[in-house]
Amino acid sequence: MIRIPNTILLGTAAALVLVPGLPLPTNGQTSSQDAAVVKDFESRVTQYLELRRKEAGTHPRPTNSPEKIIESQQDLALKVKGFRSDAKQGDIFTAEIAEYFRRQIAATLGGPQGHKIRASLRHAEPVHGLSLQVNQPYPQGIPLQSTPPTLLLNLPTLPKELEYRIIGHNLVLHDLAPNIIVDFFTNAIPSTKE
Amino acid sequence: MQRRTYALLLALLLRWCAWAQEANLRLPLEPRSVRFAVIGDSGTGEHAQYEVAERMELYRQKVHFDFVIMLGDNIYGGHRAHDYKKKFELPYHTLLDAGVKFYASLGNHDDPDERLYKPFNMGGQRYYTFNKGDAQFFVLDSNYMDPTQLSWVEENLQKSKAKWKIAYFHHPLYSNGRTHGPDLDLRTRLRPLFQEYGVNAVFSGHEHVYERVRPEDSIYYFILGNSGKLMTHDFRSSEGMEKGFDTDQSFMLVEIADDKLYFQTISRRGQTIDYGSVDRHTQSDSVSTIH
Repeated sequence: MIRIPNTILLGTAAALVLVPGLPLPTNGQTSSQDAAVVKDFESRVTQYLELRRKEAGTHPRPTNSPEKIIESQQDLALKVKGFRSDAKQGDIFTAEIAEYFRRQIAATLGGPQGHKIRASLRHAEPVHGLSLQVNQPYPQGIPLQSTPPTLLLNLPTLPKELEYRIIGHNLVLHDLAPNIIVDFFTNAIPSTKE
Repeated sequence: MQRRTYALLLALLLRWCAWAQEANLRLPLEPRSVRFAVIGDSGTGEHAQYEVAERMELYRQKVHFDFVIMLGDNIYGGHRAHDYKKKFELPYHTLLDAGVKFYASLGNHDDPDERLYKPFNMGGQRYYTFNKGDAQFFVLDSNYMDPTQLSWVEENLQKSKAKWKIAYFHHPLYSNGRTHGPDLDLRTRLRPLFQEYGVNAVFSGHEHVYERVRPEDSIYYFILGNSGKLMTHDFRSSEGMEKGFDTDQSFMLVEIADDKLYFQTISRRGQTIDYGSVDRHTQSDSVSTIH
């Protein structure tokens, strides 16, 4: 008997409700406008990553030397800053894309898993008060807040080199190899209603 | 004369310590068994971490474990070359010199670039799997459990032919710790997979205590987040806890022999704070016991 992985079954079931990488249905209908926004986001991400790979390279092979790991990260970061010296907040999370993300996140937090997601966020050593800047490194020594899996299921899936990071109420697009904040937008995580 | 007496007393004391160590051992040390140590939230670089490491070395000489699993927060604070030395290479140098391998998972205080550090044996990946004898280990990155990783977990658990399936990652699915508590959203995603594909034991850190949780779906959950950090008197009272320890640092020894997993948890000062054995369950047979 062929066993179908649960994640595939879940994914198929979710296709009727929530599909990672596709917009949440609004009032029972998938908005083609949202699909276009997601496509735009994915294309901006791809464009950034292709350029980064071409101009700056990728992370090194595993090594015994922490010095080499650190040097490589700093070297990559320098090159990224060089080829996108004019980068600014909103280049990837445009106003439309940020708005779409805010709606997705609010809908996920307002859904059946919402209380669990919020509990996970609270228990994961939330990071507050960091001043965010595009092209700047994610500061060393500051814990990384884990990103709840259900939230990730309802956001466009990123290539392995990139990740979403929650910092306070902000959502950050983080490039792992150079440890750079590629972009971010504010008020991504709505405050809990008292 | 006086010097000779001191030397004799010292020799007797060392012998007594060795004897006490031996007497304290709760593992059967069966031939061809899989033996390993467990540490979590270890990388502080402080004195207590070094003391735990020394205690581990004492036990290695008897148990001959040849690998250590790391439950995350391997390097706290900065990640300069000096930090890798002070918080990993120096405390565990006797184990490393003896050829003991370390297999790390990433915690929320770790830089994801630790995956590139060869002594952590992550092969450049944030999540990975490896086999030792009858056991397959699934090392996950609970900081970022995205759909790609979830699919990887399911595919790899499904195709595993290992007798023992052991998962480990930083954030606990169950916890009676006051500081963090369980990661409920992570539990929603992982528990069904563990249940479906017959995971036997799960190890996590994050909470700076030791806890053995009452088995859920015949799966044993251990928290060991106090091999460096410690949060004293940090438990909520709960019926879900089978054993808790929050007054000193600790590490675990595990031995897998045929259908049994034996464990012994030892404090920094050498006190055995928990021990027992777990019977292997399959998807159809769900009997597990602690003796």
